[in-house]
Amino acid sequence: MELFADLTTISVIQVIFWFLAGVISFYFSIGNARIWTSISLGFFLIFISQAYLLAPWSDYPRLAAIHYIIGTVAIMVMTHGFQEYYVFSRTLETGGSKTFVYLGTLAVTLASAVFVFINPEPTYNVLRNIKMIENANWVFLSLINIDMIRKIYLQIRDSDIARGFIAFGAVFVCILLWKGSELYLQVFCWDSDWHLFMQSIGAYHNVDYPGRVNFSIMVNQVGGLLSGLSVGGTFIYLFRLLR
Amino acid sequence: MLDKLKGGGFTGYLNFIFPSSSGILFFEGGKLISALHELDKARLSGFEAIAELSNQILAGGGSLSVYRLSKDLVMGLHALLHGEVLFKGQELKLIDIKGLLEKMKVRQLNGCLRIYTEDRSALIFYKEGAPLGFFHDGSNDIETSASESQKIAGLPGAKIDVLSTKSADELMLYDLLEMVNIDKIWDSTKIRYTAQMEQLSKEAQERDSVQQNERLRELEDDLKEVAVAYLGKVGRTLVDKELSERGGRDALLNAEEVTKFLAGVEKSSKLLTSLSKLKEMSDLMKNEIFNRVNG
Repeated sequence: MELFADLTTISVIQVIFWFLAGVISFYFSIGNARIWTSISLGFFLIFISQAYLLAPWSDYPRLAAIHYIIGTVAIMVMTHGFQEYYVFSRTLETGGSKTFVYLGTLAVTLASAVFVFINPEPTYNVLRNIKMIENANWVFLSLINIDMIRKIYLQIRDSDIARGFIAFGAVFVCILLWKGSELYLQVFCWDSDWHLFMQSIGAYHNVDYPGRVNFSIMVNQVGGLLSGLSVGGTFIYLFRLLR
Repeated sequence: MLDKLKGGGFTGYLNFIFPSSSGILFFEGGKLISALHELDKARLSGFEAIAELSNQILAGGGSLSVYRLSKDLVMGLHALLHGEVLFKGQELKLIDIKGLLEKMKVRQLNGCLRIYTEDRSALIFYKEGAPLGFFHDGSNDIETSASESQKIAGLPGAKIDVLSTKSADELMLYDLLEMVNIDKIWDSTKIRYTAQMEQLSKEAQERDSVQQNERLRELEDDLKEVAVAYLGKVGRTLVDKELSERGGRDALLNAEEVTKFLAGVEKSSKLLTSLSKLKEMSDLMKNEIFNRVNG
């Protein structure tokens, strides 16, 4: 049980729903256009990045770093998918191949893994930096995706899939709250990782704004839970729409 | 053929029947003594008749009968068709028929007497004032008996036309084949006719093209309506795009292009609607195109 000491109920629910979204998204991309493959692969990678919470060897720093990097790749692939969908909604042009998406994502992930392995083993501080980069990417790309989804919706608002994009919009709002609150805590060094790091070097870290910290932690947990639930629900809804 | 008739000293007439007109060429001893063309109530003779006959022959759809007749009968028929009208539509009961016949005898008239009612008619051909023969509807040949003609003359409301013509010998003096350059008429008619046909064909093609374009425009609109019903307004743009990529709505006439068009629509539609709806929409479009293009 010690291995899962950090595991909370919320985390479990999140991982289960990300898994659900990942499986459906993969099924969803079969026989469908490449654009869906990019979006689906992005959502599946979030599951991979979150699944480390359940992995017994998650305390292995290099693996944790790779999970964070996969999380970053996930939002980038997903954004790429939404950008392509936006281009499609304006021009009705689709191009490229699924293989390129899979191989491209795999190449980036492997290159990141190589980068992690050829460099010194990440310390807590380094892992925290990588996580911050991941969160920053999620926050800003979520904002871009929300705007992109809005534009896509305006283009295709009377088609069947349009409501699915509203759901995607809701997902990214939840993700923005989830990742944004965590980034906020990290930026001001109010996160638990920083606390552990300070402890490890025997320093004392006083939190001057407990109210803000507690609120951010609450937003992080609620946002995380809702993003998991909403993404699972969105894919179930999309599956029904496009069946 | 005219040369052959001329060379053979043909006496008789050529009867042309066209869908909306008829024509007659009279020959006597190989000479074309007269030509007649009738369209409704308009009659053309001579050069004009020959020109119009050429027109009609080139237009096709007609039939030709060639009748060999005696010289005198040709004269009688000539009188019937071309003769000078001495009396027209005179009621028989108002005419002194005996006096008329006597006058014809005295004047040694060549010609034809036509006696007719609404249902019956009879012809009496005269040569130099003397009856040459009798012809009435229902008979196959010239008769020597006047009894049938007298019966018709005795019917209530019977009328008479008296037509006179020149003698057979005088008629022989005319030969339209000599007077008119038939070959030239034929050639010029042929050139004119060909030009007319080309013009008509061009107009018909233009008309067909306009009609076809209109049909295709309607088909394109309907395809857009189907796309809008299944995909929303983006469906209209999708049909527009796929058609313009294939060179416009004319592509709908080409089976191969239609297959590509439908594949293009399906590919993009996968991102907008469910597979079941997509199949339904695709089938509907396919049927619409097939029925309109082949229907």
